[in-house]
Amino acid sequence: MRLLKPRNYGTHLFAICLALLAALSLPAVAESTAERTPGAQDAASSAVPSFRQDVVPIFTRFGCNAGSCHGKLAGQNGFKLSLRGYAPELDYDSLTAELGSRRIDFADPEASLLIAKPLGKVPHEGGKRFADDSRAAKVLLEWVKARAPGAEAADADPTSLEIGGPGDQTAKIGQKVQLVVNAHYPDGRVRDVTWLTQFFSNDASTVSVTPDGVATALRPGATDIRAHFQGLVQVVTFTIPYDNVIDPALYSQRNNFIDEHVMAKLAALRLAPSELCDDATFIRRASVDTIGALPTPDEIRAFLADTRTDKRARLIDDLLGRPQFIDYWTQQLADLLQNRKERDHDVRGAKGVRAFHSWLRGKVAANRPWDEIARDVITATGDVVHNPQVGYYVTTVGEKHAEESDVVDSVAQAFLGTRVGCARCHNHPLEKYTQDDYYHFAAFFSEMTMRRQSAQVTTTELVPSSDREQQQQKRIADLEAALATVQLSDDKDAPRKLAEATKRLEDARKELTRMQLEVGVTQPRTGRRMSPAPLDRSPMHFEPGQDPRVPLAAWITDSKNPAFSGAMVNRLWKHFMGVGLVEPVDDLRSSNPPSNPALWNALNNAFVSHHFDLREMMRVILTSRSYQLSSTTLAENEQDHGFYSHYFVRRLPAEVMADAIASATGVPDPYAGYPLGVRATQLPDPAVDSYFLTIFGRPERVTACACERGTEVTLPQLLYLNNGDDLQAKLKSPDCKLTAMLKQTGDDDELIDRLFRLTVSRPPADAQRAAVKKELAAGDAREDVYRDLLWALINSKEFTFNH
Amino acid sequence: MFDISLQGPQHRLCNGASRRDFLRVGGLAALGLSLPGLLRTTAAAAESPSLPRPKPTAKSVILIYLGGGLSHHDTFDLKPDAPEEIRGKYKPIPTSVPGLMVGELLPQVARVMDKVCLVRSGSHENDHHETATNWVLSGRFGSAFGDYPSMGAVVAHETGFTGLLPPYVATPKNPSFSWELGKSAWLGGRYESFKAGDPNQPNYHVRDLSVDQPLSQKTLERRKSLLAAVDSLAGRVKGDDQMATYDEFQRHAAEMVLSTEAQSAFDMNREPAEMRDRYGRTDFGQGCLLARRLIERGVKFVTVTNGGWDHHKKIWNGLEKRVPVFDQCYSALISDMHERGLLNDTLVLVMGEFGRTPKINKDAGRDHWGRAGSLLFAGAGVRGGKVVGATDKEGAFVTDRPVRPADVAFTVFNALGINPRKQLITPEGRPVEILDQGGRIDELYSA
Repeated sequence: MRLLKPRNYGTHLFAICLALLAALSLPAVAESTAERTPGAQDAASSAVPSFRQDVVPIFTRFGCNAGSCHGKLAGQNGFKLSLRGYAPELDYDSLTAELGSRRIDFADPEASLLIAKPLGKVPHEGGKRFADDSRAAKVLLEWVKARAPGAEAADADPTSLEIGGPGDQTAKIGQKVQLVVNAHYPDGRVRDVTWLTQFFSNDASTVSVTPDGVATALRPGATDIRAHFQGLVQVVTFTIPYDNVIDPALYSQRNNFIDEHVMAKLAALRLAPSELCDDATFIRRASVDTIGALPTPDEIRAFLADTRTDKRARLIDDLLGRPQFIDYWTQQLADLLQNRKERDHDVRGAKGVRAFHSWLRGKVAANRPWDEIARDVITATGDVVHNPQVGYYVTTVGEKHAEESDVVDSVAQAFLGTRVGCARCHNHPLEKYTQDDYYHFAAFFSEMTMRRQSAQVTTTELVPSSDREQQQQKRIADLEAALATVQLSDDKDAPRKLAEATKRLEDARKELTRMQLEVGVTQPRTGRRMSPAPLDRSPMHFEPGQDPRVPLAAWITDSKNPAFSGAMVNRLWKHFMGVGLVEPVDDLRSSNPPSNPALWNALNNAFVSHHFDLREMMRVILTSRSYQLSSTTLAENEQDHGFYSHYFVRRLPAEVMADAIASATGVPDPYAGYPLGVRATQLPDPAVDSYFLTIFGRPERVTACACERGTEVTLPQLLYLNNGDDLQAKLKSPDCKLTAMLKQTGDDDELIDRLFRLTVSRPPADAQRAAVKKELAAGDAREDVYRDLLWALINSKEFTFNH
Repeated sequence: MFDISLQGPQHRLCNGASRRDFLRVGGLAALGLSLPGLLRTTAAAAESPSLPRPKPTAKSVILIYLGGGLSHHDTFDLKPDAPEEIRGKYKPIPTSVPGLMVGELLPQVARVMDKVCLVRSGSHENDHHETATNWVLSGRFGSAFGDYPSMGAVVAHETGFTGLLPPYVATPKNPSFSWELGKSAWLGGRYESFKAGDPNQPNYHVRDLSVDQPLSQKTLERRKSLLAAVDSLAGRVKGDDQMATYDEFQRHAAEMVLSTEAQSAFDMNREPAEMRDRYGRTDFGQGCLLARRLIERGVKFVTVTNGGWDHHKKIWNGLEKRVPVFDQCYSALISDMHERGLLNDTLVLVMGEFGRTPKINKDAGRDHWGRAGSLLFAGAGVRGGKVVGATDKEGAFVTDRPVRPADVAFTVFNALGINPRKQLITPEGRPVEILDQGGRIDELYSA
């Protein structure tokens, strides 16, 4: 694969979104020579090629209008095309209007720069893009010879793409498949556009694809190949089974519908499911994932002793009803809703952050459904004391105008799991979103006014109407008062004055209505006014003066909006299962489909039918057998990182690990501004100083992106655990549980047992017990040996990972 | 608020927007990082057939990063003939190289210029701190899908731990995860710089490396054997990248803690007082000295960051405070390394994210200017006493031999024997060249 070699860098932030595509795969300088099955009307064979349907797609297919080339905002070497052809009219102008006739030369069509440049006949920084006798060259020449007809209204864009052939398929390693892409047009026409389609693999190490659409299976697994044409995307899924022989009976054990779909996928891939995890592992795993805390030794003892067959389901119910559940999930939602003190001008201060946290806590405690919480936040209005959820706008809008602030990206990402940021500056390269869509969406927030007040004076308030409307309303009030005065007057001019005052009032009211009807923001590129419209461009009705966020919230949380349920389902799934059905977890788009579409649909249906009940969804996931599989890998599944053949281990999140160390040692961490004993999972404010939480990846909540949370393992973390003063001090503290335990009992078996349960949540194995006793027998001070044992347990992966 | 300090999230950049703007991009950036290193184990890579692996000239690199953007007009690219509002107040002074002049605030650096190659034609088109910083530190322009790994992180990825010390260390300032120090981006946390802290602190030690009360050998051995005995997860879970990283860093952490060699690398008290004075008793000065100690002990890439060069206001005050500190520590580093023979195989690079505007603004400051800036290269075969590139008479645009961020990074990788066109595989399985553009700055090495 060769890349274009632009020597000029993207010059603006604007250009950056596209660098991915540039890096990813500008199509190689090659073109399929494969003959396509006709049956499709094709421009190359028809009389005159269409600018919109033939010429522009050539620019896209051969990388001419890519973000690293002429498609970048500044163009390339004086020639600018719209990025990936999103504005054919502009492209037509640059080709025909600029630079006289050099780009298109009717007298000598082959000398047109449009043709000579990509053929390398004149110096071209992008090199030779296609061959003289290629189809692309012929189409361009035909078009110029036909005197370069412009975009015509009849040139409707295709409405859908279809990847012909067998569709989703199972392939063997080394197998090659020629993909065929058909575009469907509004008039019913179907056209083979394979040669103009750009192909990408979502995982090129599993299935690669050539610019001509030849997919090659490279290793076992599953991935999607995307076909892009004229802003449309279609994907086809390839499954390449592993070379295993699996007993089909292994796939038949099921607790609920989740297992049905997980097992079906595993069977298709010939990956074996691991066994069910043991009870000790289960209580630890479920506690950590559900309440963010280790089970206590007493809970472990009781659970292991319980002989009821439904004890796991009972434990799940118990965990979902715990106060720690409320703490932990309040924190999860607060991450998503970016509850933090806005750096520069947050008039609420830490107090406001705590108030929003308490508000969220109340919602989680009362198990309010997610759609209700979302609506409450999206439509937040009023003062920050009585309506702490207004804080969401204090941090995301700040002092900016809505369309210049983070609110658009944040709302889309938090509630719809969609990244629209690219469309702020140009059409989204991987999604249907255009720049207009972005500003239409931003317009929903254009009516908000934040009345910022220093907390000493009064409270900050969010008013759901614009400044000028509020001024107009004040003016109307004044005119009403004036009219009343005139009405009371017995002046001889009264009738005339009355008529005038009435007219003025009516005009003012009309003006207000006019203002209310033209709610919107200005699209910076076109200068056009954008009225509020949802991302799917569905029509939306507003009453004049209505807060546009109210219909927006209704659209977002509609049970028919798959993105709303999908965004939360995917987050919950990833939380418990370790890997999202869609990754990145908050990047849902048609070009990034779920790894198990049947499971995706089933989970979303369940979430909707349970009325967005978060706890209920967690219960469904927790009770599935898939969640309860052992993390111990088998030869037949150790290569699986995304299909849930075993529980995927992960390092404990920062706050959970801090609390786990505090509970294992009995020494709480002090957090400035909070009473000693407040746990890390209870902290409302991400700005609370903590070296531990920082190095272990606590999110700062600057964006709604789940990626803010650090999940990596780093050297400073290991130094902290290995040698850090903090942990040494805890181990030596008179408050350390070990200190009391040493006084309470001289029975080594009991002590060893208790330390294991406190940390790794299970009794020791015989060999482990023996290893400790061997150290004890060496004659060193008993407390030193036990302190080292506690250190070793805390440093073990069994402690620092959920498994 | 016009004092930019690139050393921690508590600081604010002059445009008042930064960290958040950064994260809007950078947050997306980390998209791969939320995957538990899905494919990182396959981050093996292919050497590019078009470019063979270069022969190394440098064992190590020291990057001195002047965060905020050095004013080239007042230091290394004076324009004495320009109008006053451009040339500023400083006079050129001669250096150890006939004909080469630098600003009068740099008398000590002037004496070592014969060992330094001055590049006056650093150039790009971005005037935004975060974006430009990531660009110059990585050599690649970041995308909304992610910034690129910085040079140090790539070096760490390519060389790994070669001794007891981490391959990539940043100083001063601990523990902020500040992006200025060079992020590992999609390479993942294991290639982040190791934050060494501020070696100018009176009781300087690296947090959690050396401790107040060191443990006895007996304790350490017992811990080691108990740890091996209790962890029953080891061996049960195969193919997990996060766990493998944990094991790897657990081993390194234990080795570092145990090793007097690793401890002593950071023990500034082992330097004679005169040597410490020579570098200057500042965080910048001692950071340069620590950098020398670290590369002496095999660290591959050390970043010494110094913030505060974003002089939008009262630039003379700012420069008169900062340039003398730089003058002392940089000249000390170059001469000391030369005396020890370390300059033969260490590349020392000085740069910021951009230069500054030619015209002095209404607040007596200079603003961001990516189109021109000065860089200093020394060591590892770089020819001293040379000037590469030039700017126009106002110092606004490069007129000769533009040196792009990719050229700088290319030169660094090339010096270390890392193929700049090598393809790495991102966690999503996407093949990405270390650098997609740029070429070695040959003029650094030619007569």
